[in-house]
Amino acid sequence: MRNKKTVILMAFGLIASLVAISCSVMEEGAGIFDKVSKIVTSDKETVSKTTKAVRSSFGDISEEEEYYIGRAVSAIILSRYSVYNDDALNKYINKVGKAVVFHSERPETYAGYHFLILDTEEVNALSAPSGFIFISKGLLKRCEDEDMLGCILAHEVGHVQKKHGLQAIKNSRLVDAFTLIGQKAVEKYGPEKLNKITNIFEGALSDIAEKLIERGYDRKYEYEADRLSVKIAAQTGYDPSGLVGFLKTMEQESSQKEAKGWFKTHPSAGDRIKRAQKEISSLAFIPEKAPARSMRFNKAVQGLK
Amino acid sequence: MKKPSLWTVFLMLFFLVVTLLVAKTFIVKIKVTHLREEPQFYARSLAVLKNGENVEQLEVKGSWIKVKSSQGKTGWIHTSAVKPKQFALLQVADSLKTETSADEVALAGKGFNKQVEGEYKARNPNISFAMVNQMLKIEISSSEIKAFLKKGRLGEFRGEE
Repeated sequence: MRNKKTVILMAFGLIASLVAISCSVMEEGAGIFDKVSKIVTSDKETVSKTTKAVRSSFGDISEEEEYYIGRAVSAIILSRYSVYNDDALNKYINKVGKAVVFHSERPETYAGYHFLILDTEEVNALSAPSGFIFISKGLLKRCEDEDMLGCILAHEVGHVQKKHGLQAIKNSRLVDAFTLIGQKAVEKYGPEKLNKITNIFEGALSDIAEKLIERGYDRKYEYEADRLSVKIAAQTGYDPSGLVGFLKTMEQESSQKEAKGWFKTHPSAGDRIKRAQKEISSLAFIPEKAPARSMRFNKAVQGLK
Repeated sequence: MKKPSLWTVFLMLFFLVVTLLVAKTFIVKIKVTHLREEPQFYARSLAVLKNGENVEQLEVKGSWIKVKSSQGKTGWIHTSAVKPKQFALLQVADSLKTETSADEVALAGKGFNKQVEGEYKARNPNISFAMVNQMLKIEISSSEIKAFLKKGRLGEFRGEE
């Protein structure tokens, strides 16, 4: 009798566990029993409906979608700026970039991180979603060594890691997109839906491009990217004071320059210097510069015109 | 020794099932990643894992997970390359005629995809993707980056003489 009771209780426990697990991980929506009854129908359409509208903000953009956004934002950037054609120097920048990427919290993106030099005297660095990072020739000329370059690239990696670009997309646009996309598996969009989704895509791109190229990120995002720059650079083994050194150069130049590139899109350097110094002083270990790095940096940039 | 009560048995069973089923399976969320011999990006690649592939967690070390692939190979992957598999009742109990989870079916190739990019290109012929594709071709091999870190006393080679 007691054995029978045990078996019944165990069976009940097992079922309860399964229900609890499935409910705990199912997305928000109707009540528990409503979900379970829908699920048991084993109807794909029903499952789709249950999880529909789950996606609602930038954080719900998939890696693949972020990649396509990043590609198009990069195409816009590259329609405004020419590429600095020096394979060896571009490769060097990619090595420094990868070194910091490996020590960030988000080293893997859909198609990885890629770095490119823009052929402009304007001082600027830009990062498109999913890890497309651009640094201008003008900025590179102001870099004193590899550690400083590492800090600047780490700042851009910080923007990618925290998805600051995606956060520039108006939320109403995302809600429209997610509603339109739905959850049904479709091989290809029909002409009408394609037209609508491309309209939203274009809107999202202009939101990001406006922030990135015209107005700059919100101050809080720049502070966050600076904080990450210090952290990532130090973890990589670069002297994080390279960021402070660069900001000081910018501070000196800001009064002489017309508001373009970095000067137009970034908050004043003074406040950022103080914050970065505070961040550095809180580090448990501060790496020092290494002669081998300075040597290879000088060799890499010696032909920079 | 006192016999465990029915409630103890019930609770033990409950936790056992929860432990067995929750968050041990991951899905590759990026285009491709490598199953590596060591928890390092420049460690030898044992296999290529593609978007949507499932892996089973065996061990965790910082931001790296030792996993078993669907082909039965074991190696290390970084946490940023995967997401935990969403468990739905349908997946847990195969006997209930499993359908794959809505999330998996839904997101691959959905939303902003190649087709949308194609339409965008057609509308904006002045915006060229050629240089973006060139940019994607810049590759740094595992051995190159390892040598770069070593020579620059970076990463795990920090402080070495």
